[in-house]
Amino acid sequence: MGSSMEEKVVAVIMVGGPTKGTRFRPLSLNIPKPLFPIAGQPMVHHPISACKRIPNLAQIYLVGFYEEREFALYVSAISNELKVPVRYLREDKPHGSAGGLYHFRNLIMEDDPSHIFLLNCDVCCSFPLPEMLEAHRKYGGIGTLLVIKVSPESANQFGELVADPDTTELLHYTEKPETFVSDLVNCGVYVFTPDIFTAIRDVSSQRKDTAILRRVSSFEALQPATRIPADFVRLDQDILSPLAGKKQLYTYETLDFWEQIKSPGMSLRCSELYLSQFRLTSPQMLASGDGTKTAIVIGDVYIHHSAKIHPTAKIGPNVSISANARVGPGVRLISCIILDDVEIMENAVVTNAIVGWKSSIGRWSRAEGVYNSKLGVTILGDSVAVEDEVVVTSSIVLPNKTLNVSVQDEIIL
Amino acid sequence: MKALILVGGFGTRLRPLTLSFPKPLVDFANKPMILHQIEALKAVGVDEVVLAINYQPEVMLNFLKDFEAKLEIKITCSQETEPMGTAGPLALARDKLVDGSGEPFFVLNSDVISEYPLKEMIEFHKAHGGEASIMVTKVDEPSKYGVVVMDETTGKVEKFVEKPKLFVGNKINAGIYLLNPSVLDKIELRPTSIEKETFPKIAAAQGLYAMVLPGFWMDIGQPRDYITGLRLYLDSLRKKSPAKLTTGAHIVGNVLVDETAKIGEGCLIGPDVAIGPGCVVESGVRLSRCTVMRGARIKKHACISSSIIGWHSTVGQWARIENMTILGEDVHVCDEIYTNGGVVLPHKEIKSNILKPEIVM
Repeated sequence: MGSSMEEKVVAVIMVGGPTKGTRFRPLSLNIPKPLFPIAGQPMVHHPISACKRIPNLAQIYLVGFYEEREFALYVSAISNELKVPVRYLREDKPHGSAGGLYHFRNLIMEDDPSHIFLLNCDVCCSFPLPEMLEAHRKYGGIGTLLVIKVSPESANQFGELVADPDTTELLHYTEKPETFVSDLVNCGVYVFTPDIFTAIRDVSSQRKDTAILRRVSSFEALQPATRIPADFVRLDQDILSPLAGKKQLYTYETLDFWEQIKSPGMSLRCSELYLSQFRLTSPQMLASGDGTKTAIVIGDVYIHHSAKIHPTAKIGPNVSISANARVGPGVRLISCIILDDVEIMENAVVTNAIVGWKSSIGRWSRAEGVYNSKLGVTILGDSVAVEDEVVVTSSIVLPNKTLNVSVQDEIIL
Repeated sequence: MKALILVGGFGTRLRPLTLSFPKPLVDFANKPMILHQIEALKAVGVDEVVLAINYQPEVMLNFLKDFEAKLEIKITCSQETEPMGTAGPLALARDKLVDGSGEPFFVLNSDVISEYPLKEMIEFHKAHGGEASIMVTKVDEPSKYGVVVMDETTGKVEKFVEKPKLFVGNKINAGIYLLNPSVLDKIELRPTSIEKETFPKIAAAQGLYAMVLPGFWMDIGQPRDYITGLRLYLDSLRKKSPAKLTTGAHIVGNVLVDETAKIGEGCLIGPDVAIGPGCVVESGVRLSRCTVMRGARIKKHACISSSIIGWHSTVGQWARIENMTILGEDVHVCDEIYTNGGVVLPHKEIKSNILKPEIVM
């Protein structure tokens, strides 16, 4: 075995595609979900900067279904900024979560990496990647999964798994089960050795032998069985489940935060988590102010340096303000994401909301979200104008609309 | 002769259809909305149409290239960099509309569907000799609109009253104008409203005349009016060119089926249905008062009424779609599903029933 100093590592981040990101609408109508800003940085930026902490990182690949041109600018900017090669690879057709990795195996293996990280772009966590790698080396399996304990009620939204308490070996894995299996779930962050490609290749040949028990509509059951193409391999059902209990897969438990950024409301919650993480890891990213020369800042707040905030405004906690935004006198912002070029006029209030690019919030108007309500946090798409004194509560407004009357619990198309 | 079509804005009321295409390119009775207007203009001798646009110009320009060739009419764009209102775009396109011949030019609103009696309008305009002619249409609820108060015999317009609280008349501006080039001298190059600024000036100088639009008129900028508009359009088609409508044992009332669409056995189609190019309607399907757009597939035994099925969508077997359900582009409704007024954004799969009107993002 070569010395670990020369062993290279490649990271692959799955970013998904436009027709799959419909739960993230309306924010994903005009921007790919992975580029949506969370805590002031594009969503995909957080796993990418976490990868930077991996020793001997040779390359980061972003794999998805978006057009190349949607990521071209971002990829070249981030490669320069972080000084690590980042490349976007477009999948021509769905191969499944493991099949996608396999599809690009030649490129991934070009740097002859000893280990390959696989991350999902819409995971929000502390990404303890160097620690995972070290643990994985100790276990000596073909893969190690990042896992976390969640509340038993919510566990069935994820992949539930059972791990050996002493060896941390993955004993059992099942995706979104109907009955309770375990409160330990799959975070969507993995490290593999190149043997994973052999395992994926073997799945297609073994596929015919496995019985599939799942509920189908009365109709599907009477149709001739549809064949899944041989190169469509899902990581959870086709790799993790069958290999569990065979001393090949191990787990690494994180005790930090973990969320999936599936809906716009979650992006606000995850922004809060990352902002509080900045407080520990890079406090210089956060804003401060006491109302004398600059606005009062409470709690964790990110303000882009080009944004203009009036000194009589009060910002925070949990606020992210993007480039060129303008916040007028007497404005109160609590728990919100304010995107580029937004204008918020005097004495307006924004709380539990996401305000889209170039939107404007009129004087004394109020944009408010309520987390547990039917529509949740208020979301204003691009170029939405909220007129003076209007109240928008728990509503979703699609781009280019003007609100001149108050609305509550509504979707405005 | 020249014409200007006011295309303007984002078409947000016709979402989710306008999330996939700009509004003038959304199909109505199996062809892009704006094509109905361009064809009517060509038929009266218009040789150049200017589209006043401010949204997705690239998509519009591509479409224009195709149709310029097919229709043998010149189509150009005048792009607003900021919203210019309803009169500003005319000033912006001035150079294209004035060709020195002194001939009047047409101005149409892209949202409007009607019989376009443009030849009669030209005769009316010549007869009264005034500077501007507008079409007006009679409506039941005039206070929703801008009412045109006019002399019923001569057609001379006295004034415009926006959303009147008391009854002043029941004719509203139908959005079809025929204007002398001198009108352009009265419009400044800034955001301007033709109804609030330009026309009142011309009316005060006794130069504005209104003609009552014969036949139907509909502003199809929103789904409910789109569906009603289709009924009116097909009714009118039955009177003027009944050969274009489809007939057969499985057809009831006015139905328009594109020649490339396929219809299976045992279906009952109509009344007031339009089925677009490349659509497949499998056997045993019931369709009434609905539009099925290009490339959509309706599977066996489904039943659809008063709804719009977007491009390349599929409706599953035994599905029931009704009550103003609007499916955007590439929406797939699973077998046996019921949707009552669901408004579904593009690229979605509907796997569970929508029991009351709801937007699915």
